Amino acid sequence: METEDSSSENGLLHRKQALYSSLDSCFVIQKEMYRGQQYSQIYFARLHLMRTLLYSLLPNWKPHIQVCTVIGLEEGKECIIVGTLYKHMKLKPSILEEYSKERSATPLVRPHNFMHPDDHLILEDESGRIKVCGDVLLPSVYVTGVVVALHGKETGTGDFWVEDVMEGGLPHQIERPIKSGEDKYVIFVSGLDIGSSTSNPLKFQLLVDHITGHLGDKKEQSIAAKIVRVIIAGNSVEIPRGLLNGQNLGSKDQFTLFEPIKELDIQLTQIAAGIPVDIMPGPNDPANFSLPQQPLHRCLFPSSSAYNTFRSCPNPHLFQLDDVSLLGTSGQNIDDLEKYSDANDKLEFLERTLRWRHVAPTAPNTLGCYPFTDRDPFFVETCPHVYFVGNQEKYETRLIKGAEGQIVRLICIPRFSETGVAVVVILWMQL
Amino acid sequence: MATSKSDMKGFFKQKKKSGGITKAKAKSSSTKKSLSPKRSATYGSDITQPAALISHGSPDIEDDYDEKEEVLRQFDMNMAYGPCLGMSRLARWERAKSLGMNPPEDIGHLLKAGKVGAECLWEGRV
Repeated sequence: METEDSSSENGLLHRKQALYSSLDSCFVIQKEMYRGQQYSQIYFARLHLMRTLLYSLLPNWKPHIQVCTVIGLEEGKECIIVGTLYKHMKLKPSILEEYSKERSATPLVRPHNFMHPDDHLILEDESGRIKVCGDVLLPSVYVTGVVVALHGKETGTGDFWVEDVMEGGLPHQIERPIKSGEDKYVIFVSGLDIGSSTSNPLKFQLLVDHITGHLGDKKEQSIAAKIVRVIIAGNSVEIPRGLLNGQNLGSKDQFTLFEPIKELDIQLTQIAAGIPVDIMPGPNDPANFSLPQQPLHRCLFPSSSAYNTFRSCPNPHLFQLDDVSLLGTSGQNIDDLEKYSDANDKLEFLERTLRWRHVAPTAPNTLGCYPFTDRDPFFVETCPHVYFVGNQEKYETRLIKGAEGQIVRLICIPRFSETGVAVVVILWMQL
Repeated sequence: MATSKSDMKGFFKQKKKSGGITKAKAKSSSTKKSLSPKRSATYGSDITQPAALISHGSPDIEDDYDEKEEVLRQFDMNMAYGPCLGMSRLARWERAKSLGMNPPEDIGHLLKAGKVGAECLWEGRV
């Protein structure tokens, strides 16, 4: 492999560049107007999108079995039904139960995971719903909001006995042209938590110095020169929420409140001065609560937003760098899956969301979501090459393969304030 | 109480027996409000639409319920295009179009022409 020597004649190192295109238009709420609609519209859009997809996949799966709707089920007749799963969970917190049990403002202490052996799944479409039973569809794996096709038959008790299940599967992936020569690196970091007691400003400063090439000798700097972009995947600040007690803040408190963001802005200016940076909002950032989180406002970053390399992005974030498509979130979707289902590791949750073709299936059931009427922006249209999630406990990564030859790199980005670990992804075709 | 025969007639209203068949009195339409057949659903009674209970939907009596509205109501009720509440009819039609459901074009023209109800059947009433 021929490596291109990146140092030019007069000893100056030039940073590599990659062609960037943002595909976030579906996540940005610009023209939406809230008309008092409920979530039935987004569920309908999701069901329709997924059902059209699943119907197209059925001939390859079980072509001879008849497809019918829930209301058209006949007892004992083998058929395929397509619908949205609803998981009935005994321990799922219910606002009505909380209110009736204890009328207090503070939330009751809850277990971290709400699973229970008695949980069961129900399949629902526009015509009706039916309880799903059998060993194939495990309630510990699935969550409310996933659309699947089930092959089975209705039993005498009125349940649907499942023999086989089909999910959407990995979507089609656009082929990457095989490149040789240039290594380009992308840095992923999340959970900076500037302003919190656990974050060490020296750690982040060290990272910034390394990225911008202020550290090390020529060899170190040439590595840094290969970095084409920095993605900050959420939770960049920790605002001292203890100050927010519902009363007007004095000027001293206002200053304290804003300190972390100012510090972040200073650091981001250092990065943005030399390298393109994308910042995504996270659960603790000053952005809206429900997904898709809108980009952090430019006024929060007065000095870094002056650079055109600075880019504020929504959460989830979908973009392309030199034909590599990358998709990821700041962690809310995977953390919510962890509360309502079970897996061996976080990467398994990531893989499941991709195979279900939906970034956040638990939205809007247990994850805050904007009530879209005409679309479901979390539906994954094309398979990304890199799929990341931020604010996780530790760094994990895996390569998964799809039925059509898709290859996806799954990445869990750890919290920087706790681990001091940032992730470097090499944008280079692995053969 | 003992009454004399002659007083019986005072108690009972005597029917005037005319020779032939009594002609039924023709109701003069001028004394009644002229009601078109459209409003016959609530003819003569306002129990179904007590004024105090109507929040901000219009009462039935003032609705222009013609065949265009009937077509649009059938479009609202059609399950294939999804729930109708919370969206304007045109938005729902546009969504059906963009999701590839091929909604009838004439409904689209009807909605874009603008002289029909923009909101669905249940808007303001639920």
